[in-house]
Amino acid sequence: MLLRVENLFLYYESERGIVRAVDGVGFELGTKETLSIVGESGSGKSSLALGLIRLPPKNTAKYAGEIFFDGLDVMKLSDEEFRKKVRLNGIAMVFQGAMNTLNPVIPIVKQVAEPLIQGFNIPKNEAHQKAVETLSYLGIKPEMASRYPHEFSGGMRQRVAIAMALVTNPKIVILDEPTSALDIITQANIMNLLKKLKNEIGTSYIFITHDLALASELADKVAIMYAGRIVENGPAEKIFNSPKHPYTQLLIESVPTLRAERVPKFIPGAPPDLINPPSGCRFHPRCPYMIKGKCEREEPRITTVDGDVRVSCWLREEM
Amino acid sequence: MSVLVEVQGLKVYFPVRRFLKTVGVVKAVDGVSVALEKGETLALVGESGCGKTTFGKALLGAVKPFAGKIYFDGQEINSVDDRQLEAIKRRIGAVFQDPYSSLNPMFTIYRIVEEPLVVHGIGSPKDRKETVFKALEDVKLVPAEDFAYKYPHMISGGQRQRVAIARAIISRPEFIVADEPVTMLDASIRVEILLLLREIQRKLGLTMVYITHDIATAKYFSDRIAVMYAGKFVELGPTKDVLKNPSHPYTQALIDAIPDPDPRNRLSFRKVVGGEPPSLINPPSGCRFHPRCPFFMQGKCDASEPPLYSVGPDRFTACFLAEHQS
Repeated sequence: MLLRVENLFLYYESERGIVRAVDGVGFELGTKETLSIVGESGSGKSSLALGLIRLPPKNTAKYAGEIFFDGLDVMKLSDEEFRKKVRLNGIAMVFQGAMNTLNPVIPIVKQVAEPLIQGFNIPKNEAHQKAVETLSYLGIKPEMASRYPHEFSGGMRQRVAIAMALVTNPKIVILDEPTSALDIITQANIMNLLKKLKNEIGTSYIFITHDLALASELADKVAIMYAGRIVENGPAEKIFNSPKHPYTQLLIESVPTLRAERVPKFIPGAPPDLINPPSGCRFHPRCPYMIKGKCEREEPRITTVDGDVRVSCWLREEM
Repeated sequence: MSVLVEVQGLKVYFPVRRFLKTVGVVKAVDGVSVALEKGETLALVGESGCGKTTFGKALLGAVKPFAGKIYFDGQEINSVDDRQLEAIKRRIGAVFQDPYSSLNPMFTIYRIVEEPLVVHGIGSPKDRKETVFKALEDVKLVPAEDFAYKYPHMISGGQRQRVAIARAIISRPEFIVADEPVTMLDASIRVEILLLLREIQRKLGLTMVYITHDIATAKYFSDRIAVMYAGKFVELGPTKDVLKNPSHPYTQALIDAIPDPDPRNRLSFRKVVGGEPPSLINPPSGCRFHPRCPFFMQGKCDASEPPLYSVGPDRFTACFLAEHQS
């Protein structure tokens, strides 16, 4: 396994109390594999990404757990070791809205080359050469490379942001909603590009999104997050075709489909507050299969069903 | 059936100013015509910057057209006097995209929903109270007493959008413009709000324009669909027919770009057109989609603008490919 995460916690302080954004999350990611983490807003999926790359925000109340990456015990590394062994060319991240965080007064090629110069002491012209190659691989022609961010459209700037993550040849790239601010057709273009990268370079991806349909464009495995926890995790085929957790089932049924003829349904209620999450299974107040006296009292354990699907639901435990 | 809203050759232009000089115009809506039957829902679909929101604002009388006419129940809304315009506006409601910024945070839910009645001077305070509670029940914020005296920050995004809908229907309008009403909401509650809108629309016999970038939701929540590109309608027709058998290459491109949740998606590339939507200051000549179109015919598509050809019952498309079909 390239990456193994166990019992990861990331809590925040807030005026109203402790926000349990990531509450005991574990998963594995293999080489050349794409795991999509799907959840609604406030499910903790972006916080999970911050936890993976050791960037807990200032108001963090609890940050703990185990992360094993490529034989390294990530949480035990010193800051300097972490920077050298993980941040520089281990796990890269494309942040949500990254296309809007480019420096407006520096040509894009310089911004893409920067991690090579700063982190690896590669000579400037060599770094530029590599940056130009990476950009052109992502569809930005060499003659465009010395232009400034404002001269590019949103889709193009998103390509630059992806180039910045890929230029150091990381083993894992975390993509946090990489297309959420883009138009539909531009989004499809970027998804095609990510597919191409996946086939050709063989990087592993963690693809974070709220959109199940989009997740299916890239995911080999899917982890469904709800209220700070992963409720179901397994191969894409099994998650989409025979979901085991009621939340996954309902979430899939809530997606309006363009081709299939079925009327989308909705999940009554709203996602819970992470300051005071419901007792027991956090989905129980919205769950149509709630077992009274059980689901609201005890937290379901993670069970393995159907060979390799890990699910935490009392219905599955009893089977 | 009779026509409630009719738009003829609508153009909405905005000046582009550099310092004090006008250096150009943004042609946000550039020659659009459509007639809405009573009780019908028209979905207006397009990418950001195609002019769909401006079109909606023009229908609400919130922006003045550069040219063209908008008739509401036979009256042209930009040539009536202020008093008549007020009377028309009473019959039109609006729901906006962002339920976090469209509700006044200092007002209680009660006051937010009551506001249109106060503004239009409808009913006594006692009548109004009854009407407000009724509207809250219509949008399923029950028991209404529990919600009426809360503030927006105390309720969830989905509930806020219900408040916005209650406010839109409180003055018993006949026509609603809903601009991306579920875009900001979580996936699991989007459908709930759309079903609610649909239910209210049917119950009250409302005519509705549903503005969205999401053609998949339009499939379930509209009778007709208008696809907009760079300020123009490129295709117009009954939703089911258009989605099953799109006649404009742009409509086809939009449909191709949207995945359904299917694990096989990852195994193949999606068919997709390149490029980006054009600037509305200097749109391409001829058909505005021609630089991206896979069926581009040189000397034709870039030379003149295709008119809306009729391509079947109630179906129109602005593409030269349909020239001989019609």
